Amino acid sequence: MTQAEIKLCSLLLQEHFGEIVEKIGVHLIRTGSQPLRVIAHDTGTSLDQVKKALCVLIQHNLVMYQVHKRGVVEYEAQCSRVLRMLRYPRYIYTAKTLYSDTGELIVEELLLNGKMTMSAVVKKVADRLTETMEDGKTMDYAEVSNTFVRLADTHFVQRCPWVPATENSDPEPPPPAPILVISEKDMYLVPKLSLIGKGKRRRSSDEDAAGEPKAKRPKHSTDNKEPIPDDGIYWQANLDRFHQHFRDQAIVSAVANRMDQFTFQTQTSSEIVRTMLRMSEITTPSAAPFTQPLSSNEIFRSLPVGYNISKQVLDQYLTLLADDPLEFVGKSGDSGGGMYVINLHKALGSLATATLESVVQERFGSRCARIFRLVLQKKHLEQKQVEDFAMIPAKEAKDMLYKMLSGNFISLQEIPKTPDHAPSRTFYLYTVNILSAARMLLHRCYKSIANLIERRQFETKENKRLLEKSQRVEAIIASMQATGAEEAQLQEIEEMITAPERQQLETLKRNVNKLDASEIQVDETIFLLESYIESTMKRQ
Amino acid sequence: MAGNKGRGRAAYTFNIEAVGFSRGEKLPDVVLKPPPLFPDTDYKPVPLKAGEGEDYMLALKQELRETMKRMPYYIETPEEKQDIERYSKRYMKVYKEEWIPDWRRLPREMMPRKKCKKGPKSVKAKDTSKGVSLPNTADVLKKIEELEKRGDGEKSDEENEEKEGGKEKSKEGDEEEDDDAAEQEEYDEEEQEEENDYINSYFEDGDDFGADSDNNMDEATY
Repeated sequence: MTQAEIKLCSLLLQEHFGEIVEKIGVHLIRTGSQPLRVIAHDTGTSLDQVKKALCVLIQHNLVMYQVHKRGVVEYEAQCSRVLRMLRYPRYIYTAKTLYSDTGELIVEELLLNGKMTMSAVVKKVADRLTETMEDGKTMDYAEVSNTFVRLADTHFVQRCPWVPATENSDPEPPPPAPILVISEKDMYLVPKLSLIGKGKRRRSSDEDAAGEPKAKRPKHSTDNKEPIPDDGIYWQANLDRFHQHFRDQAIVSAVANRMDQFTFQTQTSSEIVRTMLRMSEITTPSAAPFTQPLSSNEIFRSLPVGYNISKQVLDQYLTLLADDPLEFVGKSGDSGGGMYVINLHKALGSLATATLESVVQERFGSRCARIFRLVLQKKHLEQKQVEDFAMIPAKEAKDMLYKMLSGNFISLQEIPKTPDHAPSRTFYLYTVNILSAARMLLHRCYKSIANLIERRQFETKENKRLLEKSQRVEAIIASMQATGAEEAQLQEIEEMITAPERQQLETLKRNVNKLDASEIQVDETIFLLESYIESTMKRQ
Repeated sequence: MAGNKGRGRAAYTFNIEAVGFSRGEKLPDVVLKPPPLFPDTDYKPVPLKAGEGEDYMLALKQELRETMKRMPYYIETPEEKQDIERYSKRYMKVYKEEWIPDWRRLPREMMPRKKCKKGPKSVKAKDTSKGVSLPNTADVLKKIEELEKRGDGEKSDEENEEKEGGKEKSKEGDEEEDDDAAEQEEYDEEEQEEENDYINSYFEDGDDFGADSDNNMDEATY
């Protein structure tokens, strides 16, 4: 784990779980697999707090445990999973676009709690939805359950590994830690529950005073004494499936940008590619370099209902896509009207390359970008050749090349003419190694986000006093409005915040919003680069 | 050997033309310090993406940040004792739901040890009530009645919380069969009401006052 990753993990853990969990988590990420007592000793925290922190981390799938020889249980942190916490808003928003508010809340609850049973999720989501509905209306559990089942069927949520049922008469003492099993076929199996009920609105204090005394008001949600029907069956959000969806989205929009601006019919090519990807969703494993071959006839049948293009037009589009130099779509055979595949690996490579080009352009200028694209295309070029092909004066070309070289976007390849590698008798060729450049850029992205988070925390801390004051004023106004106050009184309270303070608050809000939005956008780049690197590593 | 052209004369070991400088040209200055921490950029960054989706995700992000702080998974660092205990602190405490992990899924060593004197707060599971022995319950019930008689309206919530907490804790104490541990646990609890003659509503910060007052009692009365 690089320092940048560790720093980012530390910031994320601290923001979401507090300092104690952060200390334990970062320690585990740094040192790898360790048993409980060693963690407590090395971090200098009490055993009790280490236990609490580990419970939280395990609950959120950030730490795994394993039983080693002699019954020692060791804990290991998953750094990459910690970094996924940046992407939570994107997951939740995707669920909203696909399954509307119900789906959004289900995924949100699962992400916030790490793992939950289906009944717990359904109940909580129904309650939350009921809060937002008009008075008198409630959300039925059945509707929430249906959405949950749909999410499970499309693999967006999956079951967590479970404790295997052991026989009662176990002569051996129980193991120090349960060995959790998982089987492919059961991973998306929804238990047969009959959840009947409606969401409950949180009762306001007026209604309460009339009924039970305050002492009995259930402050904890543990007032259900009935046994939970699906006890022990926990669900978690399936992040890989979301990543697959993001990847498909990126490919479709790339195709749309490239092809659809030249056709008068809007978005046909991207629609075709989207259909192909949808057909391969469940059949193709997420790490495969190609989708399964699809025949042109199948694609024609699976096009969305509203689309009425003829078979010949579809074939023309497919040929066009297959001939495109970007090679997103490839032709793998002729049966069934032509078998077509989507080159997932190549597509990711193109996307990563486009990201690199864009970064070079924005950082060094468009002439540098021209040189960069040139070297990419020609693979290896000497200095002289670069100047000639790019049609840029020697001095400037040299300067730009060195700038990119020191930024590690371009690298040098030595080709010696003589075995003693004498510099005067060696070719030095400029080349772009996409994998290493992508890694470098990814590392930079991690640093950027860490900087963004730190700056946001700094800004918030600077204005802490002012923020607290404004919160208090808002609380006062809200309570006064509830008890019915005059306009003049409200005005007076509002004036407690002076105009320059208001200005300051506005500026703060704008800055924090900008920083947050930047984080989300950098995370998109991180996703592309990570997907490309992962896909490349798997192929080696 | 034959390769040495000039001793002490500056000569490049490689073809300077290849790097792009002509012979005899003034080379650029040697850099003697690390690059600046915040270098000037020639090109301004591109504006951020803006749209419905981005706005929604931004709002989500900020909401999630706030929500996470209120979840039971956010473990607060125990603050140091301040010099002056503020009255308002008692009433501004954010109420958090307890979270109890599913012990079946965790290694056995994760469970808080029951023999420990200062058990972690998560031990207070609401459903671990086995074999409550009578005398302790009677004690607690007597205490509850006493508190009820004092009947502070605005404090009823707190007292009831403590009553519930006290009841659970005493049950835990029974399980441990260690009265000292139970009392110590109760004592360690922040909002403690001690059995003493001082009515809590009389003093503003009655939390730890009881302990001190007992010690100083003899000196106070002349």
